Amino acid sequence: MIKRVLGLGMGHLLLIGWTILAIVPFILIAIYSLRSNTDLFAYPLGIGGQYHPENYVIAWNGPGGGAGMIDYFTNTAIAGGVAIVVTLTVGSTAAYFATKLGARMRALFLAIFLTASVVPFVLIIIPYFQVFNALSLLSQPAVLGVTYGVLTLPTTVLVLTSYYADFPQELIESATVDGLGEFSAYLQIVLPLSKGALTAVGMLALVFVWAEAQLGIVLLQESTSQTVSVGVLGFQGQFTAQLGPLFAGLSIATIPVIIIYLIFNRFITKGIALGGVFR
Amino acid sequence: MVGATATGWPPPARRRAMSDTTEATRTNEMDTVAVVLPPEMRKGGRRRIGIVRGRRIIMAVTILPAVLLIAAFLWAPAVQGIRISFSDWRGLGPIEFIGLENYIDAFTGSEFLPALWLTVVYAVLSTAGIMAVATLLAAAVSARVRGAAFYRVVWFLPGIAPIAAAGVFWATAFQPNIGVVNVILGALGLGSDHAWLAGADTALYPTVFVTIWASVGFAFLLLLGAMEQVPVSIYEAARVDGAGTVRRFFGMTLPMIRPVFVVTMVLEMIWQFNGFTVIWAMTQGGPGFATSVLPVLVYREAFQQLNFGMASAVAIMGGIILIAVGMFAMRLSRSKQEEF
Repeated sequence: MIKRVLGLGMGHLLLIGWTILAIVPFILIAIYSLRSNTDLFAYPLGIGGQYHPENYVIAWNGPGGGAGMIDYFTNTAIAGGVAIVVTLTVGSTAAYFATKLGARMRALFLAIFLTASVVPFVLIIIPYFQVFNALSLLSQPAVLGVTYGVLTLPTTVLVLTSYYADFPQELIESATVDGLGEFSAYLQIVLPLSKGALTAVGMLALVFVWAEAQLGIVLLQESTSQTVSVGVLGFQGQFTAQLGPLFAGLSIATIPVIIIYLIFNRFITKGIALGGVFR
Repeated sequence: MVGATATGWPPPARRRAMSDTTEATRTNEMDTVAVVLPPEMRKGGRRRIGIVRGRRIIMAVTILPAVLLIAAFLWAPAVQGIRISFSDWRGLGPIEFIGLENYIDAFTGSEFLPALWLTVVYAVLSTAGIMAVATLLAAAVSARVRGAAFYRVVWFLPGIAPIAAAGVFWATAFQPNIGVVNVILGALGLGSDHAWLAGADTALYPTVFVTIWASVGFAFLLLLGAMEQVPVSIYEAARVDGAGTVRRFFGMTLPMIRPVFVVTMVLEMIWQFNGFTVIWAMTQGGPGFATSVLPVLVYREAFQQLNFGMASAVAIMGGIILIAVGMFAMRLSRSKQEEF
């Protein structure tokens, strides 16, 4: 009995401990974002001293006329939007019609995307830079968005193929009896009924774009073209003397994604459960 | 077919034969356009071929774009990376080949082998930490379902925030005297002046910690999902037999979730082997080269030294190791699918 209570106590300690560790950094970021340097050093754990909401204005507009969070947000929205369009249109269409392939072709099709999902970024990053540079496509978030769309294709395709494999065939059969072609049946029957799965993979792609920094650092050279992740890394250098605005930037970079996550977490966890592939 | 199943007709044996024939015609449609038909069917046959051709066009138009994009954005750059690795290209002018020089230089130089070792240490420590914490958390949550939804949401937060932003925060948190980590250590009487990130022999550990912090949520979700599939009745039987919590966990839960556990571990290993952002945000590979794992070394060689040839050679060697791990992972995940 004592052992059991002790075990329960340990378990609870673990649950509470990890919850604190998961949340507290975000609370600290929010508190630090309202600080001046002196107070930040004087009250490293939070309460006390003065608060400076104007840090957010500085971070939003950028220091001294440079790029600020507003630019980074715009660029992330562009890159994310393009990536979503590419990965969902191309990925969903391919995944659906791949389920109609013969067994051998389907295996080949899946193998292409499975192997693609393990190609490391370090291998492709220099050729990307070379080609983007030669075509004058550096520092263009929309172009990077296409790249992101393709890099999330393996996840999208693998998840949706397994989803479409279980799609109720009688719906499509009755549609073809009514005279719909295969492609129209896909557009008018399959897509509307797959909103949940499409949202799930779309969220996974968005999370990827939101977090990606390695390609962004290389391909988004001008600060006004950078996404949130890349811009935040640049902030680090610009704000060494002024940590308040740096944390305001981190806070702005973190809060929206947490809100989106809290609204859509069902879809994100569903996507993970469906795919288990996540870059 | 589905309707037939519902009415229980045709009986199983016949149904099997029917599905075999449909399968056969389907393969025919896919593989051969010029189907040779007996004369009495010629007329209808020609129409059929038209449909088959249309079908092939649909398949090509719908499936090929995805494959071509993968080829253009993944396979072609990988091949180009291999080409650059045999040159001393510095970003300007034509690519001139110098054979294996970069590879030889990498092995005889002072940066590649330490970076490779560092990558292995970083990936293994991070993966071990992630799996240990995630397994413990999943076991704790699956044992008492109350609040599971809450933990599921909250523990994934570090994984959802831009990792670059989290890395910048943690870099500050590990500063001596003012950083929150040192403040807490100081309050515990462990000293508050540890310059974690400035010391060549300590800088790696904070990056491992932050990697674990950011990645546990994902592994936890996968493992919890697997644990929830384990039938409750097994546990009840074991409890009746007097097996304690620890015995039940090691004797039943772990063996039951083994396939998912292995896949999660291998995936984490691959991702941490590729890990760049956490380290870049916290130390930029420094001090010196103390935290320059392979992806960071590639970035520094290429975009700080402009030595693209050498950087590519390093990337290729890292990539080969990683693809070997990846093939291993795919084999494991395939056996996982068969088991379910």
